[in-house]
Amino acid sequence: MNPPDMNPHRSVPPGPGERPSSSPLPGEHDVQDVFRDEEEEPAPPPAAPRRRITWRKLVLMPAALAVVLALTYLWITNVHLDSIAKNSLTGGNVQLRWWQHVKLTAISTFWVLIIAIPLGIALTRRRLRRGAPLVTVLANVGQATPAIGLLALLVIWLGIGASTAIIGMVIYAVLPVFSNTVAGLRAIEPNLVEASRGIGMSAMGTLTKVELPLAVPLILAGVRTALVLNVGTATLATFVGGGGLGDLITSGIQTQRMPVLVLGSVLTVVLALLVDWLASLVEVALTPRGLEVGA
Amino acid sequence: MSFWEYLGNRHQQLLTDAYQHVSAVFQCMVIATVLGILIGIVTYRSSWGGSLAITTTATILTIPSLAAIGLLIPLVGLGVPPTVITLTMYGLLPIVRNSIVGLRGVDPSLVDAAKGIGMSRIARLCRVELPLAWPPILTGIRVSTQMLMGIAAIAAYASGPGLGNEIFRGIASLGSANALNQVLAGTLGIVILALLFDAAYVLLGRLTIPRGIRA
Repeated sequence: MNPPDMNPHRSVPPGPGERPSSSPLPGEHDVQDVFRDEEEEPAPPPAAPRRRITWRKLVLMPAALAVVLALTYLWITNVHLDSIAKNSLTGGNVQLRWWQHVKLTAISTFWVLIIAIPLGIALTRRRLRRGAPLVTVLANVGQATPAIGLLALLVIWLGIGASTAIIGMVIYAVLPVFSNTVAGLRAIEPNLVEASRGIGMSAMGTLTKVELPLAVPLILAGVRTALVLNVGTATLATFVGGGGLGDLITSGIQTQRMPVLVLGSVLTVVLALLVDWLASLVEVALTPRGLEVGA
Repeated sequence: MSFWEYLGNRHQQLLTDAYQHVSAVFQCMVIATVLGILIGIVTYRSSWGGSLAITTTATILTIPSLAAIGLLIPLVGLGVPPTVITLTMYGLLPIVRNSIVGLRGVDPSLVDAAKGIGMSRIARLCRVELPLAWPPILTGIRVSTQMLMGIAAIAAYASGPGLGNEIFRGIASLGSANALNQVLAGTLGIVILALLFDAAYVLLGRLTIPRGIRA
């Protein structure tokens, strides 16, 4: 058995509606953890030992994506394009949509971090702890709201434009980062916090030197989830006039020009996988060495 | 027209859309559950098979659903086929992952004991391992369903069925008097249906989780 504090995933409290488990089933904690930070989370299974970056991890994904991009490029340059399809694909339109997509993702993720992590920290402090269940309920209802519905409501309220899209994306992605931050901070052994207070550290010092470093793996998993979610929601930005690669997909569907549709979709897939890959590298690089399981 | 008047006027259309939404999600969930558990059963014993299944499904989950639908349209056309394929594909992922983790989490001594009293491989799987792994699998099914409710809304753009049509009608008529009503009806409808599904799963859990491992 691992000592309990070696594995940050072990002591996550059971989610709402789950029974407080008197440990009848060994695998159960892991399972709840797999899905407590939600559906779109592509993080590796908690059971797998974290390793430092290996060459395979470094090379495999970008190589595969490069091959896909090369094949798509070859296909697009050789397929017959009529004037409508050409209109959508020339004049730097594709690059423009790509950069819009990247910008939407980056800006919304930035705001998500600015909002969700401090909120998570605040709601695990002793004075505000009572507010946490309320936020969790709100967040769960929010989770049931379809992203496209949220964006459509915002566009009616705020008008079309990229900022509407960004606001919608932020609202949608705050939840996983928030709940992971809370889970990460709660999973810390109270003994450790008490010990650090006992040796005379201030509340602030305890937070920055003990609690946050220990919660880093879960917080980072939440950030990665948010990034991937945002790449996905950014495809819907086109419906609220926010641009992005979704523009190519929707115009491909509307004008029934398959090359446009396929190019838009392939680029979106490549961007999503690329962002996830970058985030996984950052995740490995930023996790404190002492927390690595099996290290 | 106020929202309530709108609901009164269009309740026929809304109920049809809601029914189609639920029926699409439900049918795809059934297929996804059967396939997902089967994949879990086939792969959980080998370590590379299991991690291959988990990595593959996690990678697919990274792909935005609009892009997945977009890639399917040239192959299968618009309408129901891309919707069903997309929903089933995304629905698989949490179920496969939780099946594998759940089946691996079953205490090996229990399986040994079942073997010791002479149960066959199939009987061990059906009467010992699967019932014990059922709570996490059910959690996976719940998570899948929530996700599919949202993806089904997006699939309406590719002429799929369901309440997403209401939302896209609203977006198409931005600025008109009914836009807000349409979007609101579609969105709230999906939220309510998702919550109802969730309640149904809680009930299902009560009925199907073996008494011995219930808290």
